[in-house]
Amino acid sequence: MPRQTLDREIHHLQDEVLLLGSMVEQAMLNAIDALKRRDIAEAHRVYNEDELINEKRYAIENRVLIVFATQQPIAHDLRLLAAILEVITELERMGDYAKGIAKIVRFIHEDVFPFPAHEISRMGDLAVSMLHRSLSAFINEDVNMAYRIPQEDDMVDELYNQIYRKNVAAMIANPEIIDHSNYIMWIVHNIERMADRVTNICERTIFITTGELLEIDASDDEWADEDDE
Amino acid sequence: METYHPQTLTVSTEAKEIIKTPILPKVSVGNLQNQDHLSDLPIKMAAIDLSVYYGSFKALNNISISIPKNKITALIGPSGCGKSTLLRSFNRMNDLIAGFRVEGQVVINGKNIYDQDVDVVDIRQRIGMVFQRPNPFPMSVYDNVAYGPRLYGVRKKATLDEIVEHSLRQASVWDDVKDKLHQSGLELSGGQQQRLCIARSLAVEPRVILMDEPASALDPISTLKIEDLMETLKEDYTIVIVTHNMQQAARVSDFTAFLMIDEDRSGTLVEMDSTDQIFTNPQNERTEEYVTGRFG
Repeated sequence: MPRQTLDREIHHLQDEVLLLGSMVEQAMLNAIDALKRRDIAEAHRVYNEDELINEKRYAIENRVLIVFATQQPIAHDLRLLAAILEVITELERMGDYAKGIAKIVRFIHEDVFPFPAHEISRMGDLAVSMLHRSLSAFINEDVNMAYRIPQEDDMVDELYNQIYRKNVAAMIANPEIIDHSNYIMWIVHNIERMADRVTNICERTIFITTGELLEIDASDDEWADEDDE
Repeated sequence: METYHPQTLTVSTEAKEIIKTPILPKVSVGNLQNQDHLSDLPIKMAAIDLSVYYGSFKALNNISISIPKNKITALIGPSGCGKSTLLRSFNRMNDLIAGFRVEGQVVINGKNIYDQDVDVVDIRQRIGMVFQRPNPFPMSVYDNVAYGPRLYGVRKKATLDEIVEHSLRQASVWDDVKDKLHQSGLELSGGQQQRLCIARSLAVEPRVILMDEPASALDPISTLKIEDLMETLKEDYTIVIVTHNMQQAARVSDFTAFLMIDEDRSGTLVEMDSTDQIFTNPQNERTEEYVTGRFG
């Protein structure tokens, strides 16, 4: 079977994407863990290790460019490599969300106010699970899975709304915690955006297989998108 | 400056220094992977201040180039830039051309191959060559591969059988020809013939294989098979390939040397670097113009 070099490069890059994905998953879980335990040292670590995620992303991007330049990928190979460039950008941004959470933990770790830790944990687990499975679908080119995963975003949004209502109620009851609750909402917002970006990965999986660039119509609210671009 | 048939039989101190310090630059782009160790690569062979003349015409102008061991080095450049002349200088194939003269050195294993005491046959055994058009001898597949070993005195049939099979396997053509070893090599397809020629060059256990546009007469699939074969072969051999096909150079090689014609119409080395670098971020403007198809 000819083109062993190109195949080897592609497999290597797929492995690297999975590795980058697992770094991002771990960063998000650790950031939420640091929040729950108000662990400033852990938050600091997540914050600093975002640099490793960025480096990995640039290394992959560089390698993809070299493969473009030297191996002349065509058709499926071309779509796959182009999709990798998109996916690593999404992953790097998700890493930034974890870093953002870690940064907020640095501001609020000495606060004693209660917050909906359980719901935030569930939301984080769900977003990380969506990411994990979206990357499996990406590597396995599983189009059905790529269509299904974005539907789970509704659950993430539902948790977001629950936390929002709890926070508002808490702020009305005790205005002293307004700053703290605002920070909590930023954390939750970061998790929610992470789940939104999973949809983009799924769209690229469909692109690899079908060649079609489409937007999956999940329950993503467009205001948040504009806010973040 | 050394001239053809120089009296000195040893490599100059300066030459030794150049071989120790290959002309591969340390790459400055930090996140380009696999390039940090470039300047530490072992060098198999080197041309040092090499100028080649055909009569009064200077075909190559003062070229110094190191060929890394167990890597594929591609020589690219516009027609007439001297890349084939340089390739043929590595195993003295130019000697047969009337008026050929060389200045400088080509050094392999610390020895200038243009020294007077060097046996040309020995050089060509150690540095094999594959040509543009497959050129099997008009004899059986088996005899094609056994030709070289027989020339070097191997007589035992069992040994020859072993060499023939091993070489054909190494050249990824064994499965195609194992049932027609005693048919004429000319009956094979073009791609099979070229792999047979590669097997023939491997049979004498060379250290270096020079390839002069080895796939230019082949169809795309046979071309890709030869390219994959090169990738396998480099584990055991050092390969230098001349190709007009820039995409091929990009696909197969680890290093790329870009040559062009200077103002005196002589071939000159413009830039040599890792292939990744040459095709993504060449340092010389002329290289960039050539690889992007804007010149040449």
